[in-house]
Amino acid sequence: MSAIGMIAGGLLNVALVLLAAPLAQGILRKITARIQSRQGPPLLQPYFDLLKLLGKEDIESGEVPGMQRFAACLSLATILAVACLVPMGFFAPMSGAGDIILLIYLLTFCGICTLLAGLAAGSTYSLVGISREMMGMIALEPLFAIALVVGALHTGSLRLDTVLQGSAYNAEGFPWSGILMLGVMLLSFQAFVQRVPFDIAEAETELMEGPLMEYSGPKLALFKYAQMAKLIVYSALFVTLFVPWGSELRFPVGWLFFWLKLSGLVLLVTVVAATHARYRIDQALRFFAGLMGVAFVALILASYGH
Amino acid sequence: MIAREMFEQFKQRFGPRIQRADLPSDSRLFVYIDPLSVRHVCQEIFRELDARYVASIGLDDRPYSGKFLVAHNFAFDKDHLFCGVLAPLPAESPLLDSISDVVPAASWAEREMRDLVGIEPVGHRYLKRLVLPDGWPEGNHPLRKDVPWNSVPAEFDPAREFQFDDPPENCTVVPFGPFHPTLDEPAHFRLYVEGEMVRGCEYRGFMVHRGIEKLAESVMSYNDIPMLAERICGICGCVHNVAYVQAVEEAAALQAPARAEYVRTIMLELERLHSHLLWVGLACHIVGFDTLFMQSFRIREPIMWMAEKISGNRKTYALCVVGGVRWNITSEIAAEMRQVLDKLESEWRPVVAAVSRDKNIQRRTRGVGVADKELVKNAGLIGPVARAAGVDIDCRRDHPYAAYSRLDFDVITAEGGDVWGRLLVRMKEVFESIKIIRQCLEKMEEGPLQLEIKDELPVGRMGLSSVEAPRGESHHFVITGENNRPRRWRVRAPTYQNLQGVPAMIKDQQIADMTISLGSIDPCFSCTDRLETIDLRSGSVKVWSQEELLQLTRKEGVEK
Amino acid sequence: MSLLSKLAETLICLKTERATLPYPAEAKPVPEKFRGRPIFDASKCIGCAGCANNCPAREILVYDVCQEIRIIKYLGLRCTYCGRCADVCPEKAITMSHEFENGTDKIGDIQQRLELFMSTCQRCGRCFKEPSVLEQLKMKGYRFDDLQNERWIFRSQARLEGDAVVDDLKIEMD
Repeated sequence: MSAIGMIAGGLLNVALVLLAAPLAQGILRKITARIQSRQGPPLLQPYFDLLKLLGKEDIESGEVPGMQRFAACLSLATILAVACLVPMGFFAPMSGAGDIILLIYLLTFCGICTLLAGLAAGSTYSLVGISREMMGMIALEPLFAIALVVGALHTGSLRLDTVLQGSAYNAEGFPWSGILMLGVMLLSFQAFVQRVPFDIAEAETELMEGPLMEYSGPKLALFKYAQMAKLIVYSALFVTLFVPWGSELRFPVGWLFFWLKLSGLVLLVTVVAATHARYRIDQALRFFAGLMGVAFVALILASYGH
Repeated sequence: MIAREMFEQFKQRFGPRIQRADLPSDSRLFVYIDPLSVRHVCQEIFRELDARYVASIGLDDRPYSGKFLVAHNFAFDKDHLFCGVLAPLPAESPLLDSISDVVPAASWAEREMRDLVGIEPVGHRYLKRLVLPDGWPEGNHPLRKDVPWNSVPAEFDPAREFQFDDPPENCTVVPFGPFHPTLDEPAHFRLYVEGEMVRGCEYRGFMVHRGIEKLAESVMSYNDIPMLAERICGICGCVHNVAYVQAVEEAAALQAPARAEYVRTIMLELERLHSHLLWVGLACHIVGFDTLFMQSFRIREPIMWMAEKISGNRKTYALCVVGGVRWNITSEIAAEMRQVLDKLESEWRPVVAAVSRDKNIQRRTRGVGVADKELVKNAGLIGPVARAAGVDIDCRRDHPYAAYSRLDFDVITAEGGDVWGRLLVRMKEVFESIKIIRQCLEKMEEGPLQLEIKDELPVGRMGLSSVEAPRGESHHFVITGENNRPRRWRVRAPTYQNLQGVPAMIKDQQIADMTISLGSIDPCFSCTDRLETIDLRSGSVKVWSQEELLQLTRKEGVEK
Repeated sequence: MSLLSKLAETLICLKTERATLPYPAEAKPVPEKFRGRPIFDASKCIGCAGCANNCPAREILVYDVCQEIRIIKYLGLRCTYCGRCADVCPEKAITMSHEFENGTDKIGDIQQRLELFMSTCQRCGRCFKEPSVLEQLKMKGYRFDDLQNERWIFRSQARLEGDAVVDDLKIEMD
């Protein structure tokens, strides 16, 4: 793959994510509103929200403003970097640049940006928020790592383009580990994209937005964008890992199929978010601990070839 | 009869300590006690006779009798009796033994008496400012008759702040309020948190104290005050409106016409419906379940339209004048109301079923914010908070007013005293309210809506009224006066009592449960510390500290 | 299983119509009894000041320029739309309209000022027919509320400067 091709492909992926993320958010809000029997905001509202925030004055508040700005930029940057590594309906443009270990690191890094944000703000509420975020991350990130490792075990390679092609099901017999990991990821997906019932760190009514408390204006816009982009990127990862059927068809059918599957996942996230109450941190941790147990079983099965 | 029997009991127990007694009706007993015996009498009434503490009122009676007067009101719910223990205090030294060690529920009322009237509760353990701002000069007691209603004290000290206690060991301080997304009104809970658990709390409130009682005594008139009263609360305005008017009617020995009583009952129950539906939605929002929040509000909307059709406004009904009501319920409105109630009932049943089965909500609310029967008795908790703990009290049945004595309904209780119990109680009370309104529509008689009041109201008479608000018992105390206005009007809203129980409810609970515990009493209470200014010309930035900010804002306010 | 009950809940929610309207594109009509902004009809007003006396917010000011002219001014700042003025007006000159979109940056849009010709009126208050003794006119005589600063003055004067008081009327001072 030529260098120009890689760069162009990377930029295309980034542009797709940047364009699609607010639209997905808009669809999510409209569907939530319909379930709640109300009109809801216009579909394009998140674009306007971001524009509005970007146009505001960049005020410095919080303990360490430089770190706050760094955390905001880094959070969006990491997600967009992940977008370059993930196939969005065609091959991943920069798959030669790294392997799945890089992917895991980048995703964890994105979570760390929220921690940095909360620390830089320095208020009591943001510190409580980041302590919850940390606890959540410790319980959550390994689940995704195990999903990728199961795929790596089956295909015998750490390369991105081999692992991210539904490799979880590449077992010799019936793909037990794949099915288990599919279940685990489905149940914990809400937590990865920070939606109810697992949006504990940013619980508005309890913690006044937690780590994001001292953010306003353009810095908040970057964080919000990163959150919207997370939905698209994680959904893309999930689809390529666990729902690969149909994507290998030729462009444009394969591409359309991919986006259809992605939209289906976004719809599922919306409906689950609209119909559940938020969990408390200890209840959520117990839930994740249970899922972790299942994931380990899947890992063991995968290492034995199932 | 009941009042007389109780009075006989009192005579046996307290004998010579009673200076005088008034028995204006069968359900009211006022005994005047020598100030030195008040504590003993209150202790016996609260503990031995097992009465429920209601309210304490301090008033400046110096222009009329030359003394200050303190009233401690108790309720004998099973006997349908209110009993007031009154003590006249000499004008030069208004001191009274504090009853807050034997009746913990009186703690705030005594602090309020101290702030506003200057009656010193001797032996009270927590004598900090309750109502007035911290900078208010000592010795200036607004509710005294010699203080004009629109005076601004010159010695206001803006630098003086509320001194919080030290936190217990190992605890960090998490400030909750005055600005918080969950609370609609400002209140400050200073939580002492160890990890995720709350170990203690200190409360500073009354940031929106508006001086309503002073206004009513000084410049308003009898029929102006209901409009003021209904703005005491943002949701249960009708309750205060009706309670005040009933207290005045009792003092003046007026009886509102029967149709007016039915109309009052219907509007009170409509208010209960919309308040409970709102609360269930709010509780779900606090635990993060926005869909049920929206659905509750959708189901509640027809009630608001109904109220608007009858009274002209969704919430401030402006319903009562002394002697009657202003709005009629015509037969078209009655027919429409029946339809609305049928639809409401049919939509609410599945919601109750869904919430009762929902494990998610139960996990967030079971065992949280527990108030057991002992706390209910000691802190004087009322309303759904008490009923969820299994304490069977309800003013509509125990001290009937308006048309309730002619109606048939159940009082819902639950066991456990936690937030889940309160949720269940409020959800089921919706059905009882619907039943009551249907009965009123059947039984309502034709007749006038207002009394023709030909004579001025008698002066110096006492009247009490307790109305069951959606949050609990709202108690009004009125002494009629000259110039077409009352001499004293005291409002004891239900949240006033229930808030006193909150520190005990949130102790040793998780900080995440703080908001839902606070929200479960259905609070209706009517500093950020930096401001940054940027000089556009020089580009320099100045960050203001709290002290400087207070100086800046308060100085300007006092100068006006 | 809780997933099924959640699906059932979702279906219930989807079956109902949307409860909100895209206001202000579409607005709900107000009911007949709605208490909006009060409108004062100067042609019916007799200048008795019963409305001013019974306004709980003291938002109606009264000023006697001279024997013949009385100004009644509705301030609209703290009006609570309670409708007491409309209740007590003996001539039904005040109606509670259906206007609730009263937000403006010029308070003059809401304020109403009536200049009334009072002829030989001594402001004795007998033309005000109070519904009950609790609404009686407290301030009879000439009134000089502060129109400039929009404040209610709590004392009235029994007479204008330089005018004789008519003997057979008992005029009360507050």
